[in-house]
Amino acid sequence: MRRVAVTGIGLITPVGVGRERVFQSLTEGRSGISRIDGFDTSALKTTMAGICRDFRPEDFFDEREKTRLDRVSQLAIAAAESAARDAGMNDEILNNYDTGVIIGTGFGGQESVEEYCGAYFNNQGRRTAIAIPKAMYNAASSNIAIRLKTRGPNITLSTACSSGANAIGQAFHMIRYGQAERMIAGGADAPVTPVVMDAWKDMRVLSTKNDPPERACKPFSANRDGFVLAEGAGIVVMETIESARERGAHIYAEIIGYGATADASHITFPDSEGEAHAILRALRDAAVHPEEIAYVNAHGTATKLNDISETEALKKVFGSRAREIPVSSIKSMLGHSMGASGAIEFIATVLAIENKKIPPTINYEEADPQCDLDYVTEGARELKAAAARMAALSNSFGFGGNNAVLVAASSNDITA
Amino acid sequence: MTRGAVQSVEDVVKNIIAAELRVSRDQLNPETHLMKDLGADSLDALNIALRLEEAFKIKIPDDAIPKFLTVSDIVTGVNDHLSERQ
Repeated sequence: MRRVAVTGIGLITPVGVGRERVFQSLTEGRSGISRIDGFDTSALKTTMAGICRDFRPEDFFDEREKTRLDRVSQLAIAAAESAARDAGMNDEILNNYDTGVIIGTGFGGQESVEEYCGAYFNNQGRRTAIAIPKAMYNAASSNIAIRLKTRGPNITLSTACSSGANAIGQAFHMIRYGQAERMIAGGADAPVTPVVMDAWKDMRVLSTKNDPPERACKPFSANRDGFVLAEGAGIVVMETIESARERGAHIYAEIIGYGATADASHITFPDSEGEAHAILRALRDAAVHPEEIAYVNAHGTATKLNDISETEALKKVFGSRAREIPVSSIKSMLGHSMGASGAIEFIATVLAIENKKIPPTINYEEADPQCDLDYVTEGARELKAAAARMAALSNSFGFGGNNAVLVAASSNDITA
Repeated sequence: MTRGAVQSVEDVVKNIIAAELRVSRDQLNPETHLMKDLGADSLDALNIALRLEEAFKIKIPDDAIPKFLTVSDIVTGVNDHLSERQ
């Protein structure tokens, strides 16, 4: 069984672009939620979202390329290219059949779908002959391959809010079990659109605490009233430890475990049993005892249901020790970027391990008796190992009852 | 009169090509080859055909599109369709 290292990181988020900037914002407790100004929100109850305002598509694409790519593909390609560059990978390393791509997305090319449907149904918006290749779910992963010339397996998966985590988990296993030498994997979503905002409104799960937007998302706080929709992309480059060593590449962390389960109960109502089993499977896959986990990066959406269910799941796995483990939700700052969130949060977990620093849960105001763990609400905190080797969990639980959990560990024993 | 109408078809065609391929109108002369000179591909050709159909209210048959190689090919093609319609 081969060991797998994370050697490249690409991040585009509402709090900034690039790992240094993003991790700094997160540990400073800065929110990236802002008022939506790209379309009319007067009929909506929620008028804010996590928008990647520092992302400059023109840094990556010329005018013609931009018209060919939905925003989700732009985010994904930019993050993938940044990750490959960060890993120090050139064409020679990438341009072969042993390098693959797995991208998770919940909404795919939603903006393009809406543009074309608008033209079709209402004569609003512009028809285009390339709506299909722009809107299809696999556009992002395929365009990454075209851009970086990766010729190995190219897969798109969609498991709602756990898409990005499943993408990284599946890619990790492909390397571990010898089906690929290196993988570019993560998640991307660009769902902040008029139709999607309206559809979420009718589900009544979005926060309506619009003023001020930065304080809207309150995971685990008794006065939380829902999640805040966001866009973004988080993509990693993974390879075997041997390959990373041979190249002299920087190893951010080792990915050591992946567990996935289905609740098999309800399409939207979470089940702590299914979630707990995903955590247990990830720990078993990592050959790590629950005692060794030093930090949990929570799914922590700030919906009433998720935060209670996730808290229960952690208690089921960790027992009385659950209260001693720091658990934080960076969705409090980034909002919920759907298929990207699991990947962005895994990267935040990796960076927390590397920097020995836990990003906080911001906007926590009122204790909820059903959410009674240590949610790191006072600000960033030093991350202390619970065992000889630092190990941490990243939870992702999606609509559909799709749960995916990843385990990362410090690279100390590899690089020392 | 006829000459004026031809000129205006060419104008519209050039505007569409320039907008779709993000090139300056000055770059376009009758012999400019969309693929060889401007880097267009088959998807660009489809979008240009769609815009031509909208602008001239014509239907461009599938087998006409691969023959749209140069600016003058397109102008001639559009003029043919316009005259067929009348």
